[in-house]
Amino acid sequence: MNYALHLLIYLSIYGIVAISLNIVSGYCGLLTMAHASYFAVGCYTYAVATTNLGLDFVPALVLSAGVASTMSLAISLPAWRLKGDSFILVSLAVQQILFSLCQNWTTPGAKPGTWANLTNGTFGIADIPKPTLFGMHLSDIGSIACLSIVMLATCLLLSRLLLLSPWARLLQSMRDDELASRGLGKNVRLAKVQAIAISCGMAALGGALYASYVNYIDPTVASLDESMLVLCMVLVGGSGNFRGPLVGAFVLIAIPEILRFVMIPDTVVSNLRLLIYGMVLILMMHFRPQGLAGTYRMD
Amino acid sequence: MQILINGIISGLSLALLAVAFSAVYLPTRVFYIALGGIYTLTPFLALACLQCSMPGYMAVFAAILGGTSLSLCCEFFNHRGLDAKRASSGAHLISSLGIYIVITQLAVIFWGNETKVLRSGVDSVNSLSDIILTQTQEISFIVSGALLLFYYLWLWRSNSGLLFRAMADNPDEFALRGHSLRVMRLMSFGVSGFLCSISSLVVAYDIGFDAHGGLSSILLAVVAVIIGGRQSFAGPVLGAICLGVTRSLVMWWLSAQWAEAFTFGILAVVLLLRPNGLLGSRLRLEAAA
Repeated sequence: MNYALHLLIYLSIYGIVAISLNIVSGYCGLLTMAHASYFAVGCYTYAVATTNLGLDFVPALVLSAGVASTMSLAISLPAWRLKGDSFILVSLAVQQILFSLCQNWTTPGAKPGTWANLTNGTFGIADIPKPTLFGMHLSDIGSIACLSIVMLATCLLLSRLLLLSPWARLLQSMRDDELASRGLGKNVRLAKVQAIAISCGMAALGGALYASYVNYIDPTVASLDESMLVLCMVLVGGSGNFRGPLVGAFVLIAIPEILRFVMIPDTVVSNLRLLIYGMVLILMMHFRPQGLAGTYRMD
Repeated sequence: MQILINGIISGLSLALLAVAFSAVYLPTRVFYIALGGIYTLTPFLALACLQCSMPGYMAVFAAILGGTSLSLCCEFFNHRGLDAKRASSGAHLISSLGIYIVITQLAVIFWGNETKVLRSGVDSVNSLSDIILTQTQEISFIVSGALLLFYYLWLWRSNSGLLFRAMADNPDEFALRGHSLRVMRLMSFGVSGFLCSISSLVVAYDIGFDAHGGLSSILLAVVAVIIGGRQSFAGPVLGAICLGVTRSLVMWWLSAQWAEAFTFGILAVVLLLRPNGLLGSRLRLEAAA
């Protein structure tokens, strides 16, 4: 039972991150490789806020989203001028810079989470408290699973409300023909900043939930592999609607779990999982570029 | 001076990889991330040949042949099909990323995660006044410099080089004039795989190799191409040497850990202030799009 709940929590966390990436990739048409770093910003902000500032779960969550949204300017401002390969490269640069900060913002001897030792380098931050909500301490896995489902549902609802609004139609028109949208007098720059800020803020919520569940974070949460995993979820599931990212998250979380029940040595399973991800990406681009349940075609 | 020379030598081997990337990117506009997979696999092929008691030169030849063939296969089985469907550059990039992941994971499954070496023993050292160079650095300098020279001589002096540049300039007009795009595309992938394999072997011979170094190396090469100017054939070399020297200086003054942050910081600055790179020229909006 605990195993199923653990899977449910992971599915919810990655579901939130995939939904958030869909806003940028599926609706704005901007492929970003920096999403894991904003997930990590959420993790670290939550960890510092709860361990050092003594904040509760909800204020720490709000702070995480706020910090990530503000830091999203690092990719949204370049998006004013760049698109396609150039935007992917800028997002990659932001990813690598934030990853380097997570790895190197450390001073030996200083307390983790302080300004001098904000991330504690490769050792990471441990003993992150479990969430406390309305005076209730959510220490068991069942209550955290409930919390994660509520957060996923909230993000889905928020995403649905946003993406059924005229604002989403502006994003889609900008994705399909930016010059035409600008010609019609639409402020596409502001729309990009808003979309990327919302997306990064939502990814940070997923990060905060992850940190509160695992109780320990290190720089691997900001690695390029994580960004590629989230991107794979959106590409495999499909983008441009609500179902796609969830389907992608489900498929990519389910694949390694199926491999557990096949007679394959444990040492090979993680590599086999990545191998399957790679093959799925290639096949998707050839035979179903819009993903399993998406509407926006990458080609 | 020592740091400058070290930077130039590492920049030259990076230039080889950057030229390999641009050899595909310029004529086909394919963002060839799978090159990172070829970069990863080539030293493993050489090692496997050496373990089969093959002589060193045969192992190197077999590894280069393997890398080049793999690159040709990438075009033949993947990018050609996508091109026929008029797939976007994003679709090419993602499928190329998929190929990179597959090759890397196969390398891990067959050879493991550990760092491996192609040579044994301590490297010999030579002094040139106050500059100290290892024998591997000298080999790297000579091989990279000679190959770059041959590549640019071929590009600027031969008929096939002229066709190659013509395709990079305007592929549609190139096809309308009766030239075979398919053959030239295959050639560009072959050249790319060949240069990448040699660059990979040179670096692996110097510092060893593992199954996860391909992506970071290819990303460095991409940064060099962007800094130098992605529309230019000469840009990647200039960008790579600038990057090699800068990284050497950062490692000397700060720490090797900050080299990546500096590299990508430079990329971000160049993309924002001079998106066409150091040797690139400004394009009209329609042409840039």
